[in-house]
Amino acid sequence: MDKLLCLLIALPMLSAIFSSLLTRETRTNIAKLSLGISGLTFIVSIASLAAYIITPHQQWINFGWAWGSLYLDPLSSVMVTAVSGISFVVHVYSLRYMAEEPGLVRFFTLLDLMTAAILMMVSAGDLVTLLVAWHLIGILLYFLLGHDLKRPAAQRYAFWSFFTYRIGDLPLILAAMLLYQAHGTLVLPTLFERIAAAPDALTIMGLPLTGTVGMLIALSAFARSAQFPLHTWLPYTMEGPTPVSALMHAGIVNAGGFIINRFAPVFMHAGTILHIVFVVGLITAILGSVLMLTQNDIKKSLGYSTMGQMGFMFVECGVGAFSLAIYHLIAHGLFKGTLFLNAGGVIGNARKQDGVPHDDVYTFVVERKPITSRLPWIFAAALTLVVPVLVLELSRWLVRGNFVGEQGAIILLFFGWATGAQLLFATYRLRAENPLRTMAMIILSLIIVVAGYTVIEHTFDLFLYPDRAIREQIYAAASVPLPTFEVLVIFISAAIVLGWIATYYATASNKPQNTNPSYLQLAIYSLITREFYVADVYAWLTQTLLNSSKRLNVWARWV
Amino acid sequence: MTTLLLATLFLPLFPSSMVFNWISTRLNFPYARSLLILIWPQIGILIIGQSAQQVLPGFIVWAFASALFYALRLLTVRELGLWASFIASSGLALTWTIAGTASIPDMQLFAFWFSLPAALLALLAAPLAKRFGAAFAGLSGDLTSCVPRLSAILAITILAAIATPPSPGFFSLLGLVNKLDWAIAAGILLIWLLWGWAATKLIQGFLTGEDNKQGATDISRTAVVLYACLMCIFIFSGFIFNGGML
Repeated sequence: MDKLLCLLIALPMLSAIFSSLLTRETRTNIAKLSLGISGLTFIVSIASLAAYIITPHQQWINFGWAWGSLYLDPLSSVMVTAVSGISFVVHVYSLRYMAEEPGLVRFFTLLDLMTAAILMMVSAGDLVTLLVAWHLIGILLYFLLGHDLKRPAAQRYAFWSFFTYRIGDLPLILAAMLLYQAHGTLVLPTLFERIAAAPDALTIMGLPLTGTVGMLIALSAFARSAQFPLHTWLPYTMEGPTPVSALMHAGIVNAGGFIINRFAPVFMHAGTILHIVFVVGLITAILGSVLMLTQNDIKKSLGYSTMGQMGFMFVECGVGAFSLAIYHLIAHGLFKGTLFLNAGGVIGNARKQDGVPHDDVYTFVVERKPITSRLPWIFAAALTLVVPVLVLELSRWLVRGNFVGEQGAIILLFFGWATGAQLLFATYRLRAENPLRTMAMIILSLIIVVAGYTVIEHTFDLFLYPDRAIREQIYAAASVPLPTFEVLVIFISAAIVLGWIATYYATASNKPQNTNPSYLQLAIYSLITREFYVADVYAWLTQTLLNSSKRLNVWARWV
Repeated sequence: MTTLLLATLFLPLFPSSMVFNWISTRLNFPYARSLLILIWPQIGILIIGQSAQQVLPGFIVWAFASALFYALRLLTVRELGLWASFIASSGLALTWTIAGTASIPDMQLFAFWFSLPAALLALLAAPLAKRFGAAFAGLSGDLTSCVPRLSAILAITILAAIATPPSPGFFSLLGLVNKLDWAIAAGILLIWLLWGWAATKLIQGFLTGEDNKQGATDISRTAVVLYACLMCIFIFSGFIFNGGML
């Protein structure tokens, strides 16, 4: 297994070296070589995961240097498979997509180096290796996003990404240094053992070490995974080549979820930080979804969708569902990668023919025809409120009996409830020949999706965190005092129930829409279209600093 | 104290650093400029070694302020030779922060990791000036399609100058952050951030842009091989002498 893991990182590095050295080969041959090695990397990663599943045994692999070690555990074995799989798909796509582009060899070299850097990050066995890989990813992403050297926009947004990543690098360095100073080791498994042995023994300036380190790691994760207000770079990464956008949204941006999982032993003792992670994730999820809905560009819309999904991933981490976050990032990586790689084809096809079937969904969404028949509103409202709760509770009951005792699971149930209710409400508004049948089909789909998701998530949980005590400790760290939690549960339940009843009643009474928006509505609309002015504030800050730099240079006469 | 103040002239701290930058920018010979960047700070360290006076804590704050000052100024510098002098001034100033705790050979090594990429950048200004009239970011642009080998070397050297891993500067900075008080360490990370910003501006100024119509010949393959060997030795030396952190 250890040899397989070493090979996994060596293969893309070798590919990059070959690509740079084989200057006499044609560019297509070099691209094909890179693709072949990428395919081999994926096969090796599957073999490595299979070997780990057969004989689950954590290994720390050292080469005799102070850094450069690797760590084989459930998290790294799952992540290397996901990363090499997505990288392989991107290689396959790029072979044709980039064929006519200038700098093809440079592109494949950078792509291979990026794959190696991500694989090194997810399997790093010590703090320095992790930092090296973490830094390199930011640098390589900068060059990949700015691949088209003649487009100023691509360069501008490549810089934005680089700078935000750099901001995120710095707290991780501080966190690593604090851990090293406190525990005297760089080796991750040893470090985690020492933290577990004495979690509250050390403080920094009166603050608990685990809390301070947890906050620094969380800050780093926020920058890497585009959490509010460090999100402005993400939607604009579309200026890079499509395969890079796919790799970015399917893999690189998920690093925040990974790093929180990697440092789970720290977060187990930093409950307050998990609450902050939850709040930041929730704000990001809401803002990302709102911004996604207001875009008229498919790629930018996908960008904001990724931001929303990253927010959900942090919400999951914030409630202690760490393994769910990993499952989420892999699932999101696969579907978002597919969407990006398909986006160009969809746009091309839509230009020729819209291809939208004139069915119930079309008449409802596009033609906005008045609804002729639908279920009684009180019946639909009751279904909306009861069915999601029943489905979620039944599916959780399938895998675990005592989930109600875990606050994180209950918060996730609320999210599931809101999403299920949204789906049923959309079905209620849909114009259908047989509304009862449509509703039944939707409920069936909901059951299959939720039950499947829950079972897979539970399997993931058992694989990533086989020790039941650790799982419970993570959930316990994320929990809040019981009275506070109960008040929140009552309040949120009441808000959801009353909100949905009001929504159904308003829809059923069919009141005409107000065509004259109020001043407040216009203000909110302009706020959203200007993307909350966050980018404008950054642009102002940037310009101020540059002006100061110029003034200082003139004052010091350029010496 | 007088000896230490004299040392600030060689291991540059603002305003004494203005002398170093003035000489560096006035030297017309690229090799001479490179040698200056390599040797000048080593003289400063030797002077510190000869001084009977212990380096006072105030010097650490002064060094930090000086490094920050040059990092901020670096953002709007577009001439490659001046950029090399400024990044050296910013990086070398940080050597003072370990002056009280590290041995003289450690300080010399620390300074060398920051001097060498800056010296190489000063060297690279010569082939650029020869081909395009001046080594000025944004003047010609799109060097990647025009002189791909030179641009690749330029980009790698700029990255090494801002302590990008796996260059030795990265490990030296990690070691520095590890040794210092957390507030100064956080400040040094801010300087690092500014270096990154300045480097991307410089890279974009040279490597990107509209089609470069000027017909220029690229540097020879031999030069590339020599340069690559030098960078490999530099990086592997950093793995061995990694700033005393590990």
